Amino acid sequence: MAMDKITFRRILKWGFLNFFRNGVVSAATVLVISLSIFMIGSVIVGSAFLSGIISSLEEKVDISAYFKTGAPEEQILALKKDLEALPEVRAVKYISADEALAAFRERHIGDEAILQSLEVVGANPFSSSLEIKAHDSSKYDAISKFLEKGSYGGILDADSSGQKKITYRQNQFVIDRLSSLLSTSRRIGFAVSLILAVIALMVAYSTVRLAIYNSRDEISVMQLVGASRAFIRGPFLVEGIIHGIIASFFTLALLYPAFWLMGNKTSALFGGVNVFQYFLSNILQIFFILLVAGVLLGVLSAYIAIRRYLKV
Amino acid sequence: MIIPNPLIYFDKVSKVYSPTSIALEDVSFTIAPNEFISVVGQSGAGKSTLLKLLLAEDRPTSGKVFFESSDIHAASREELPFIRRRMGVVFQDYRLLPQKTAYENVAFALEAGGKEDDDIKHDVPQVLELVGLMDKSWHFPHELSGGEKQRVAIARAIVSRPDVVIADEPTGNLDPLNTLEIIRLLEKVNDLGTTVILATHDKEIINSLKRRVVTLEKGKLVRDEQRGRYVL
Repeated sequence: MAMDKITFRRILKWGFLNFFRNGVVSAATVLVISLSIFMIGSVIVGSAFLSGIISSLEEKVDISAYFKTGAPEEQILALKKDLEALPEVRAVKYISADEALAAFRERHIGDEAILQSLEVVGANPFSSSLEIKAHDSSKYDAISKFLEKGSYGGILDADSSGQKKITYRQNQFVIDRLSSLLSTSRRIGFAVSLILAVIALMVAYSTVRLAIYNSRDEISVMQLVGASRAFIRGPFLVEGIIHGIIASFFTLALLYPAFWLMGNKTSALFGGVNVFQYFLSNILQIFFILLVAGVLLGVLSAYIAIRRYLKV
Repeated sequence: MIIPNPLIYFDKVSKVYSPTSIALEDVSFTIAPNEFISVVGQSGAGKSTLLKLLLAEDRPTSGKVFFESSDIHAASREELPFIRRRMGVVFQDYRLLPQKTAYENVAFALEAGGKEDDDIKHDVPQVLELVGLMDKSWHFPHELSGGEKQRVAIARAIVSRPDVVIADEPTGNLDPLNTLEIIRLLEKVNDLGTTVILATHDKEIINSLKRRVVTLEKGKLVRDEQRGRYVL
């Protein structure tokens, strides 16, 4: 039976009236839905923020290979080409000895003592180098081995013990720890958010079900008075929509100060990355997700919960 | 007794909950339009089961219940509300919608039936006037006395001008004065042309009504008398 305009209007009216007349129950339902979507919101912002940190850390990880003074530039460039051909390598940057010197001068501009000591040395003390970034921090080991074992071993600078000057060896421990930390935190983050989301859904559904269980006698009376299933169900669904909308506004109002507090702490910890900035710049998308999640939660819970009482 | 065009026809109806619990056994009788019929019997005799089957709240184990010519229990879920809108129902425990005012409770029956707003605004006050509750229209059920609640329930049952009003122990929770008022109201409803089915175990009521009485005993129909008296 297609629903006519008058029935639709009455369903809307009763949905709103019931929402207000159910005062305490409505408030409790809104609170529980808010709690659920608060978790969903934190998980979304948190995981986006986490992967932001991870990629900014990964960006910082690289290795450099230093060459003997006087190593011919065409050989270094040939090595650069070979490296770029490797699937693990994302980017290779050639820094000539002159560029290294210029960068050093730039960094220490105004520091007379250091600049004077350069004059004393006379010749350029820097060696040319290749700065290599991998797609994935676990690939640095392989790249490092390629450099050491490859046919270019001869042009690589080495220290007194014969160890090639590749920064990976010096930073190996940190890089390895970081890469395992990153992949573990990705996995844990995903699992935790999944579990939280499921718990949130279950709690919200139970609350709505309890509220509708309270109305089971009313529902059976409505049926005996001759109300159609749609006419009985409609106001409950409207109430569900109202619960979801209010809960999403309420949750946004809670997330704002929460991330603001967290923002100060995180920017102190991770330098530039600020969770509050991320939250603010994506606030519309986040609100939209909360709204959709809240309304779906309210409506679907009500729809499923009321089914069992519509059988008389 | 054979009635040519019965409004309601119970055809060899049995309801068996379990082999040791038989609520109705092979009950057959007809109800004519405009009749006022009382169904009497002790608690557990099967009165409520009989009315539940008529309202399609429950299904018979065997037999059929006809409303006019249609088998109530063969109706689909979509058709059932339309049949129920032709029956008004009154319960012992009132069963008003607690979140709705007296007016809204009565209006609900019409809204559910898709009546126009203007008709509702016209009909509801009229019916509330009839049951004498015009001044309490905007009270919620918890603000009304038992007798007032039952009068609201009767108003709700008759507002859509049903063919039959089914009252299941409507006076069970009321004092003698309120009982009398409710019965007078049901008689008035009947006088205005509506069939009334009254289930009760109140001897006084039956003996003062002097209408048709159907007596149930342990699920069986044992007596069916015009101008009956309460005999058990």
